[in-house]
Amino acid sequence: MSIVLLSILKSLALIILLLTGFAYLTYYERKLLARFHVRRGPNRAGPFGLLQPIADAVKAIFKEEIVPGHVDKLIYIVAPALSLIPALVIFAVIPIAPDLRLGGFTLQFHVADINVGLLYLAAIASVATYGIILGGWSSNNNYALLGSLRTAAQMISYELPFGLLLAAIILTTNIGREAGTLSLIEILNQPRPWWLWLWLWLAFPMFFITMLAESNRSPFDLPETENELIAGFQVEYGGIKFALFFMAEYISMITGSAIMATLFFGGWRGPFADPGTWYGPIVGFGWFFLKVVALLFVYIWVRASVPRIRYDQLLQFCWKVLTPLSIGYLVLTALIVVFVG
Amino acid sequence: MTSADYLPILILILIAAPFAGIAILLPSVLGPKNPNRMKQEAIESGMIPFADARRRFPVQYYMVAVLFIIFDIEVIFLFPWAVSLNQLKIFGLIEMGVFLGILLIGYLYVWKKGAFEWE
Amino acid sequence: MSLPTLDFSLILPELVVLITALLVLIADLLWPRAASRGREQAPAVLALAGLILAGLLTLLAGEWSGATLQGMLVADALARYLNLVVLLAAALGLLLSWSYLPHFSTQRSEYYALYLLAVAGMLFLGKSIELITLFVSLEILSIALYVLTGFHRGQLAGGEAALKYFLLGAFSSGFLLYGAALFYAATGATRLADIAAQNAGGFYMLAGLALFLVGLGFKLAVAPFHMWAPDAYQGAPTPVTAFMSVGTKAAALVALFRVVQAAGSVPVGVWATALAFLSLLTMTLGNLAALRQSSLKRMLAYSSIAHAGYLLVGVVAGTAAGFDAVLFYLFAYAFMNIGAFAIASLLERPGFYAVQDAGIHAADGLFGRRPWLAVAMAMFMLSLAGIPPLAGFFGKLYLFAAAVESGWAWLAVAGVLNSVISAYYYLRVVVGMFMAEPSASAHLRLPLPASATLAVALTALGTLLFGLLATPWFQGISR
Repeated sequence: MSIVLLSILKSLALIILLLTGFAYLTYYERKLLARFHVRRGPNRAGPFGLLQPIADAVKAIFKEEIVPGHVDKLIYIVAPALSLIPALVIFAVIPIAPDLRLGGFTLQFHVADINVGLLYLAAIASVATYGIILGGWSSNNNYALLGSLRTAAQMISYELPFGLLLAAIILTTNIGREAGTLSLIEILNQPRPWWLWLWLWLAFPMFFITMLAESNRSPFDLPETENELIAGFQVEYGGIKFALFFMAEYISMITGSAIMATLFFGGWRGPFADPGTWYGPIVGFGWFFLKVVALLFVYIWVRASVPRIRYDQLLQFCWKVLTPLSIGYLVLTALIVVFVG
Repeated sequence: MTSADYLPILILILIAAPFAGIAILLPSVLGPKNPNRMKQEAIESGMIPFADARRRFPVQYYMVAVLFIIFDIEVIFLFPWAVSLNQLKIFGLIEMGVFLGILLIGYLYVWKKGAFEWE
Repeated sequence: MSLPTLDFSLILPELVVLITALLVLIADLLWPRAASRGREQAPAVLALAGLILAGLLTLLAGEWSGATLQGMLVADALARYLNLVVLLAAALGLLLSWSYLPHFSTQRSEYYALYLLAVAGMLFLGKSIELITLFVSLEILSIALYVLTGFHRGQLAGGEAALKYFLLGAFSSGFLLYGAALFYAATGATRLADIAAQNAGGFYMLAGLALFLVGLGFKLAVAPFHMWAPDAYQGAPTPVTAFMSVGTKAAALVALFRVVQAAGSVPVGVWATALAFLSLLTMTLGNLAALRQSSLKRMLAYSSIAHAGYLLVGVVAGTAAGFDAVLFYLFAYAFMNIGAFAIASLLERPGFYAVQDAGIHAADGLFGRRPWLAVAMAMFMLSLAGIPPLAGFFGKLYLFAAAVESGWAWLAVAGVLNSVISAYYYLRVVVGMFMAEPSASAHLRLPLPASATLAVALTALGTLLFGLLATPWFQGISR
């Protein structure tokens, strides 16, 4: 099969997977939050409210399109797409299951295997900022402007510890090999000694915090702050455009969980997820799915339990605590790689 | 590794972009259209908007942006170094130590100067 | 994989300057701001110590030779000489800053750190033999100078100067970068030696060299790329003006020299003719504009542009003698120009918001109040005008002689005519000092801080000695 056709099929499958994931993540979140609040959550549309996401989608599509008179029209309309596309595209380098071999044919469960996978993650993650800041700016609304500025400042600030920790993880890929790698697929294929897992898990809380901030999740949902900025950069958006921003946020949550599952918990690896067998991909995807869902649970758990922090605290925490910590972690990792590994 | 490796990503972008585009255009076909003046106005929590948002904003945002550029470039330099540390060994450690050291002095400086304080 | 061997010993002076800059930057953060009065000048002392140490290292390093750091930097006689010029100018400018800085700012450590970074940029620029290093050095020095130019925070002129300098400087960096890109396109090399070895001709090299000339022309304040210079020189704190008018010129000239050498495939006639016209335009424009200035600093700024024109004559000549003359002139220029700016800074008065510019008549009647200062100023002015037996005269003599030797007689004649024009405005200051009555507001309280006095004394001595001992010194350079 030609690589183009295969890529088209994989891309379509990935987008459908992510959108379904998004739809049921909203359901998952609402149900979970309701449980945390001792409520029932959505239960009217379909059995157990399972059709609720579809009802929401239909509603968004059939809403009146409002483009307020004071906005910068072109940018206003393009911004939600600019926000969503990176969220969809970033998943391309994450392997979701082991290879499937059928006869002479090998099917790989990732869209692209590029040798700069982690760099790609970091790069595309920063592009997402554009959609938000352009959306806020073009809305020509004081709340929206403030919200988007806050978002941009927050996202770029937390990108530093994110990048530093990523560099530290890349460093660990040197251990037991001739050179390190930036490819997520190779990271999964390479065995790690037990002490390295422990060392990596030390960084996991920091990494998780940066992922929370990068996807603007509570307690770092300052961009949205319903009660002071009336939803921040999204304030002038309604209907499907709002839904696209919403989608971008939730898909970036899924992506974040997938990245963490891959880097810290072995991705699709688990008992019976054997590459090359007919059941390997199924079991592997199962493990991957479980890990992602577990991490998503933590996202929502945090949202239900931790109050939103103040904006100055948010930036100071990043610059004064997280950044020095990750630099320290990076330096220690480098020492370990050179002297132990 | 060639640029052909990136072809799937291009294809993914080409598929994702129309999807987002269609999603944005759909409501203008399917949705009702009853525009009125109130809908067109800026939302200011029910108040009548008194100023548009093309105005100056606090300088701290610029500060964060400038600091980000400096440190992000540092991170970008770290990536290739991190990949090849096994070959660079002690030499790599020293070189990166010098590089990080200089940046850390700058970091210490902006910290002490209060660039991270937010009024 | 073979690891590069890095020999840092050849760039010790630069490293000393850089490390001092970092030390100065964090010095007053580590030791609390509430320093006692005795420690107020600690950053200045530290900076001066660093400069002197770098100078000593340059002198003691013996015969430098060879490229280092992967062929990015070279340590040769030219770089060594440039080190001395820049460090001298920097030390003299620092002595001026010592007493000048408290007039307008409390931020000492930033000032001195930026100052040292500018110095380091200049030193590296003189040593770079690779396009990227060259660009980075140029940016280090430029960015530091942009900030220093605007160090008069409360003053409108300072802000204007810094903004103009920054915008035009950034623009010119673009030209330079495009030039470098074209060189790379033509040869596939970034090291100047490799570029020269390729001997690639053609349009790319020609266009690249032209863009380089424009880019470095901006830094040198060569007409028609001089627009920023009068404003920047006037708005900047006077010690910074004094230092950058000499240091930037010296470093950029050395870089220009190296680049022109590397582009050997471009016919000499082409670039030399272009440079000759630039030179002619620069000195004429600088001198004519200087005639009409009402501010002493602005007049000196235009005079500085004119001198960039004279200096280019040596590069146009293209011979070893020509560039030796440039080097000699740079040293002489460091003394007389910084001396003139030193006195201009003494004549300025602290105003309500910021330091006030000294007008062209500020020096009137100076001889009556401070005879030695007047004599020194007269010496600087006469030397700048090129009157024997002072340093400036011999500098011009060597420059124009080299031009005549290599067949650029008309340029030499133009230079001499320009010197005659320039004599008018230089002598006007001298006449005012000795003949005119002081105007009501001129130097009512003329402070004479020890450090500035020392700077004036040193520069005056240098101007005189370089004039009297010109021949042995010039032979020393040629050797």
